[in-house]
Amino acid sequence: MSQLRIIRIHNELLGTYGDQGNAEVLAFRAKHLGIDSTIIDISYDQLIPRNGDIYLLGGAENAAQLLSLEAMKRDNALKDAISDGAVLLAVCAGFQIIGNTFWANEKKVDGLGLLDIETNAGQTERCVGDVVAHSSIFNLDLIGFENHAGRTVLGSSTKPFATVSSGYGNGDGKTDGAVQGNVIGTYMHGPILARTPALADLLIARATAQ
Amino acid sequence: MRLRVSLSISRLAGFLSQKILRRSGETIQGKVLLTLYPNALATLSKNRTIVLVSGTNGKTSTTRGLAQLISQLGTTVTNKTGSNLDRGSATMLMQPSQYAVLEVDELYLPRLIAQTHPRAVLLLNLSRDQLHRMHEVQKVADRWRTAVATAPDTTFIGDTDDPFVAYALSAAKKSIRVSFGGRTHSDGAVCPSCGIYLRWTKTNFACACGLTNGNADENRAPGPAAYRNAELANIAGAALGAKPMTFDIKSFERAVEKTISGIPSSIRLVKNPASWSEALATVKGQNIILILNAREVDGIDTSWLWDVSFDALRGKKIIVCGERAHDIHYRLHVAGIENTQERSVASAFAHFAPTDHVEVLAAYTAFTQLVTP
Repeated sequence: MSQLRIIRIHNELLGTYGDQGNAEVLAFRAKHLGIDSTIIDISYDQLIPRNGDIYLLGGAENAAQLLSLEAMKRDNALKDAISDGAVLLAVCAGFQIIGNTFWANEKKVDGLGLLDIETNAGQTERCVGDVVAHSSIFNLDLIGFENHAGRTVLGSSTKPFATVSSGYGNGDGKTDGAVQGNVIGTYMHGPILARTPALADLLIARATAQ
Repeated sequence: MRLRVSLSISRLAGFLSQKILRRSGETIQGKVLLTLYPNALATLSKNRTIVLVSGTNGKTSTTRGLAQLISQLGTTVTNKTGSNLDRGSATMLMQPSQYAVLEVDELYLPRLIAQTHPRAVLLLNLSRDQLHRMHEVQKVADRWRTAVATAPDTTFIGDTDDPFVAYALSAAKKSIRVSFGGRTHSDGAVCPSCGIYLRWTKTNFACACGLTNGNADENRAPGPAAYRNAELANIAGAALGAKPMTFDIKSFERAVEKTISGIPSSIRLVKNPASWSEALATVKGQNIILILNAREVDGIDTSWLWDVSFDALRGKKIIVCGERAHDIHYRLHVAGIENTQERSVASAFAHFAPTDHVEVLAAYTAFTQLVTP
């Protein structure tokens, strides 16, 4: 690989909860590992390139989440890139967007279907606070901060990203996020890669594996 | 009769809090009063002209400036210590006066509008802050707009360059929309009114739904937040008949000059991406201390540090401390801005000599601790 291409999607829409830092931590860790990298910001008006190595989606409010989804539905770029082996890390609203369905502004919406999950509108309290979790898939202890209303249910094609020991995670207080191949979703802000840079290293390893 | 008894008990509680706990007693009096007499705000606001000030940043200093202006017109009470929930307001209204100028927390503003029937409300700005409590900026703006729509007798004055303020003002029967131009908004990618992608031409926005900053009633030159807030205070004051004043803009920066551990320092409050960006733009010297805490009033999440560009600090001598020093240390480290992490505020100051001048940017709780005599 000549250069690791980090694609930060719709930062102006999906940057409300600090998740844009994930791109900076990836580039920083890549440099440390001796890998040349570049961060490519794709705004709402631009098409998503298919030749990225790591794609990033962040957290957002409802209206911004719907706009980002609408923009990503213009073509199949993200899906194609993942089929070609790219890694996707999607946080909070971004996590919900890539599932089968989610709720925003009192409406059920069809997502991108990259993760076999469904997110229901939170009927009770909002899930806000620090999260402590362990990911057995990545063999990592994780900390983060969550701030979401939706509750996510995993389908049979996905595994939980992490087991939660403190916090709400997907809403049941047991698991957080979902993993399906190289697609990783989580509710953890922090940003998650700043709190656990070892996860950035593992994502880079996956993206650069032949 | 019941109000009078409630007032006496509340004053006693405040007195005891001051004498025994050595606190200001401002919050406790209002808290006791609202418990004993839930309708106190409405009752105490009668026969008094009320002016409210709200927004994410600049509330305390703007309220202070506006109270100075309004006191030309008659006796005025105001909450000086930034105690801006309903109880702080209740405490202030326990004193008799012709006018009250009250700083109000963003989430409490609708309640204060409904209960105090203000003559005027000044809306400064709205951006991401304490999201663990506010959750979403849009939801705060929606609540503001609903409150504005239900107060047809109130004049709403606001900075319409902020799309969230413009959205809230658009529901007002009486309003003064003020535009300074010259800036964008970091949370301004979506129209708060209709939810489509908000199109900006440099520093102006005009949405297909009609929301725009191009229809201001008053236009002013662009400038930093401290200047804008001073102008807004003057415009709000003038709406009530007060003569404009020439303010020292420094007094609107929430900056305090003080010698700490023998080191001459200027200490500035920073609490969210917008206020950090404003403060970083004013940094002049080479000696910097950054203090990060994450208690309830600071906002318990520190993810927003990654929304702030710290480039202005590159190459300076930077010491970071506070309960969440590691978060800001790593954020700067990743940006390639080298800094030293210290365990305590005292050990941060020990890096400097009495001949130095240090600029301190401090989270709310750290700021309060440093500037309180």
